[in-house]
Amino acid sequence: MSDAERSVAGPGGSGPATNRMVITLLSLVGFFVALYLWAHNAGLTGPIVCGIGDCATVQSSEYATIGPVPVSAIGVVGYLALILLAFLGLQPAHRESKIIGGLLLAGSAGAVVFSAYLTYLEAAVIQAWCQYCVVSAILITLIFLASLPEAVRLKGPRGNS
Amino acid sequence: MSRGEERRQAREVGSDMKKFYFLFGAVAAIGIGVVGYKVGSGVFGSAVSAPIELDFENDEALVEMAQGVTKGDPDAPVTIVEFGDYQCPGCGSFALSVKPQLELTFIDSGQAKFVFYDFPLISIHPNAFIAARAARCAADQDKFWEYHESLFRNQARWSSSATPIGTFEAYADDLGLDGGEFGSCLNSERFADVVSANMELGARMGVSGTPTILVNANGQLRRVNNNDYQSIARAIETIMSETPGSN
Repeated sequence: MSDAERSVAGPGGSGPATNRMVITLLSLVGFFVALYLWAHNAGLTGPIVCGIGDCATVQSSEYATIGPVPVSAIGVVGYLALILLAFLGLQPAHRESKIIGGLLLAGSAGAVVFSAYLTYLEAAVIQAWCQYCVVSAILITLIFLASLPEAVRLKGPRGNS
Repeated sequence: MSRGEERRQAREVGSDMKKFYFLFGAVAAIGIGVVGYKVGSGVFGSAVSAPIELDFENDEALVEMAQGVTKGDPDAPVTIVEFGDYQCPGCGSFALSVKPQLELTFIDSGQAKFVFYDFPLISIHPNAFIAARAARCAADQDKFWEYHESLFRNQARWSSSATPIGTFEAYADDLGLDGGEFGSCLNSERFADVVSANMELGARMGVSGTPTILVNANGQLRRVNNNDYQSIARAIETIMSETPGSN
């Protein structure tokens, strides 16, 4: 059994998948980071505390919203979806679910692409960094890496649903 | 798989899930605590954006509380006073086109000093009061005039914002102010009393619109009806010529 297969199958081959635990916990951290930014955008937190970088410039730029929707709100919803999916995927009835594996892989891949675009905007267009956005970009990259073993599950013969 | 192995595996799975649930709970508790604290302090300790009620026993008490910000030689014989509103377009054009001419002619030469008093027209300009406080917070770090001009230059950008605080912080950052210190000042009630007192002073002096320009020299205070450079220059020259021993 390869490392990836062990991560998918969990200890002993039929336990909870370690990678889904990692995805759940990292998504939970990302959820709170996005929630803080969303609360700030809604005017609920007062001035944003930014030890490193220039959060105020990034958060007040035109790129902080897509139409009427704050980017932070998209982050909150996205992380919440990943938490629910990964958590569900840890339950005995869904441990072998290929659908959940596929959704985790596709969702985190899409989020990485979106996050890369936002990071490009910070670096090249806004020319200012927001530490929370950088933390979120790192988290979503780690989540995507943690979801890669799901590809093994998708290829494997044992999946249900 | 024997029954013994199955039981051992089930115990391992249960142990892993217990550790996972413990970690999940810990991360959730920390997250709720941090975000809850930020929202709580934001809601309950939020930036004061409206005048506060002040009770002045007499005019002296009001004059003591009201504070203009001065540019130029404090001992200059002439004082040009502006009652202004950061959200008023007329004040914006005055600050960006008329005041620089006054500086070149009268203030830099030491003939006059310029004093700005806040007079936010809160009934039509909901962000004007907090903008006035933001400028005062910048004054704490000796950048009042730079911030004052920044507010007027970017007036269209923040005037209609429902949450201008982030934008005000960005201007402070642009000017190299200490963001933490500025943020703490803005997210409080600091200078709400001074700005409110300035409003009261203006109201008692008959100010009703902005910008209102007054010229003061040797005890004579004259209101300038037009806010263009020529009218103000003429008022200064007139008041000086009427004052014995001046020039």
